[in-house]
Amino acid sequence: MTNTLVLQDIDTNGIALNKEKYTIFQASHEVKPCLGCFGCWIKTPGKCVINDNDSDFAITIPHVQEVIIISQLVFGGLSPNIKAIFDRSIGFILPFFCNVNGEMHHKQRYKKRPSLKYLLYANVISDKEKSTAQKLAKANAINLGADNLSVHFYHSTIELLEDLK
Amino acid sequence: MKVLFINGSPKSDNSSSELLINALHKLLGNLNEYITITAMKASKQAFLDGVRGADVAVIVFPLYVDGIPSHLLRLLCEVKDELKNINPNVVLYAIANNGFYEGTQNALALNMIQHFCDAAGIRWGQGLGIGAGGMLNSSPIGIAVLKNIGIALETLAENINKQISGDDLFAQPNFPKFLYKTAAHFNWIQSAKKNGLKRNDIYKKH
Repeated sequence: MTNTLVLQDIDTNGIALNKEKYTIFQASHEVKPCLGCFGCWIKTPGKCVINDNDSDFAITIPHVQEVIIISQLVFGGLSPNIKAIFDRSIGFILPFFCNVNGEMHHKQRYKKRPSLKYLLYANVISDKEKSTAQKLAKANAINLGADNLSVHFYHSTIELLEDLK
Repeated sequence: MKVLFINGSPKSDNSSSELLINALHKLLGNLNEYITITAMKASKQAFLDGVRGADVAVIVFPLYVDGIPSHLLRLLCEVKDELKNINPNVVLYAIANNGFYEGTQNALALNMIQHFCDAAGIRWGQGLGIGAGGMLNSSPIGIAVLKNIGIALETLAENINKQISGDDLFAQPNFPKFLYKTAAHFNWIQSAKKNGLKRNDIYKKH
């Protein structure tokens, strides 16, 4: 296990990411969706009840210092596979509420707060989508308790992966 | 007018989305023709068949991690390129509800539906973001603690009937935030206990 966890919806296509630097969580297959059962809070706290490897993302985050999300930018948000992993990872936080900046949010399950980096790619990126994605990343950072956040946009996955080398 | 409802909840029944669809159906009246599909089960073809000939479509969904639930998002991706050919005149409206108190926390998810409309080349109508969605079964919508939500839903229904666009609307129950929080905490603990867990088990670390 390295200090940086990479959740990605692309195959690296021969561009080898440094395995000593990155722990890769691959989401290029069709990830099963969240069932809305809240089992990750009230049945198997901390982990999705669906018995497959995609449930492990939420329990891996507390063991790293940085989480990098590589996702296609879809309607100003994440791609369906990355979103499915996110939806099934709410066990990372607690069901109980607290106030953050006057808004209701969930309490954190873990004290350790990983930093969060979004690397978002699409052939065409409108200003509106970019703005939504930046706000989304900020909202995710609050909900996941991440103190440090950065968001980067790319027009190709090659360009993106070059940055990670 | 022909109305397509798209239920975006992953739950098969008793969802907040279903309650909202039923309430909106009532407000829109009996003169319209209605079709409802559920995003969790619907194929791309079922979605396209529903849109064919519809004047308006209304997506009703729960907020998941500040956005659209993945199963609904996947379906939207699948139909995006064909909607304009199937029915370029359909107007899309959306209602998102979340477990947090503030309805405004649905704003980004509604923006994403708007970006979907831009990408698909169809007209965006209006969004409604509802907070404290867990309370939607506490009384009939429009009455008692759900009065505010009923008022917002009426405004949306009027715009849908006229097929006009408007700024997004936000509402939450007329119920104190601290009481909602207290009740929610009590419910989580009781639900965990029903599954044989103790209160401290909820805090498990991996």
